[in-house]
Amino acid sequence: MNAHVGSWLSGRKWILVAVGLPILVSAWWAFRPEKLWTNQKVSEPSPFASSTDPQPLDTGRLEGKAHQTSGRATIYRTPDRKQYLRLTDFSTSNGPDVHVVLAPSDDKNLSQEIVTGLDSIELGSLKGNQGDQNYDLPASVDLQKYNAAVIYCERFHAVFGVARLEQF
Amino acid sequence: MVRTIKTLLALAALAFTFGTSVYAQDSMKHEDKAKTLETGSFHGKVHSTSGRATIYQETDGKLVLRLTNFKTSNGPDVHVILIAAKDADDNANFLKSSTERVELGSLKGNEGDQNYDIPSGTDLSKFQTVSIYCERFNANFGAAPLEKF
Repeated sequence: MNAHVGSWLSGRKWILVAVGLPILVSAWWAFRPEKLWTNQKVSEPSPFASSTDPQPLDTGRLEGKAHQTSGRATIYRTPDRKQYLRLTDFSTSNGPDVHVVLAPSDDKNLSQEIVTGLDSIELGSLKGNQGDQNYDLPASVDLQKYNAAVIYCERFHAVFGVARLEQF
Repeated sequence: MVRTIKTLLALAALAFTFGTSVYAQDSMKHEDKAKTLETGSFHGKVHSTSGRATIYQETDGKLVLRLTNFKTSNGPDVHVILIAAKDADDNANFLKSSTERVELGSLKGNEGDQNYDIPSGTDLSKFQTVSIYCERFNANFGAAPLEKF
């Protein structure tokens, strides 16, 4: 009697193993739960990396505010540690006394078209209302804080366009 | 006299209407070897995905997608694809919908900088979004809509 029960149990165990193991294996294969805790880190070099070229640090698209403004603003660093802002694909309206400045992107003024007092770093007068253009940054600008490029009309305190810069 | 003033006013109005454009053309401060065509940031909350996707064109015309500062969750059978859409929602399912896509290969790592060759003849004006896509569960881990650099 005892032997009979034992063999019945072991037969059932065998079925459990035969059915359960493939289910477990396929569940593992499908979900790969260990990947929740493991990371696979790669670090391929840029195929075009060249230490002699300026490297882009931050970039963002320009959004129009008081006037339609479009294009891209990118901050580059040259191998000799100089930084400059480059506008590409750029177009805004022409205007009097228009400047390119850097400002903190969280400055509440930037949500308005006309500002009362902008905490900004002057990069120079706008060279052209269209086309690619470079503006040198003063040494030691805190790009963590001044993380927006602003096309700003000094005369009317009007924000023509803003580009919020994100890490490239 | 009045007529002269009127003429001048008319001229001023004309100049104002048509506006003037000043076109600047600064060059890059180096000889371009490879062109940066498009770039965008990843978003994805369900499987938190972040970083930047950039498409470069080599001088021979070859296109390469590069991921930088990249991080996503690890998972089974994850691929990098380009999709014919402006953007993709979290967990967007591309197999059930008929979104066209271009396969770029299996994800090399869930963290770090990595490059993927783009098949020649891929129309980038059509395939505008990079997606980190789990084939097994048809889940979009994260997407980066690309914009002109």
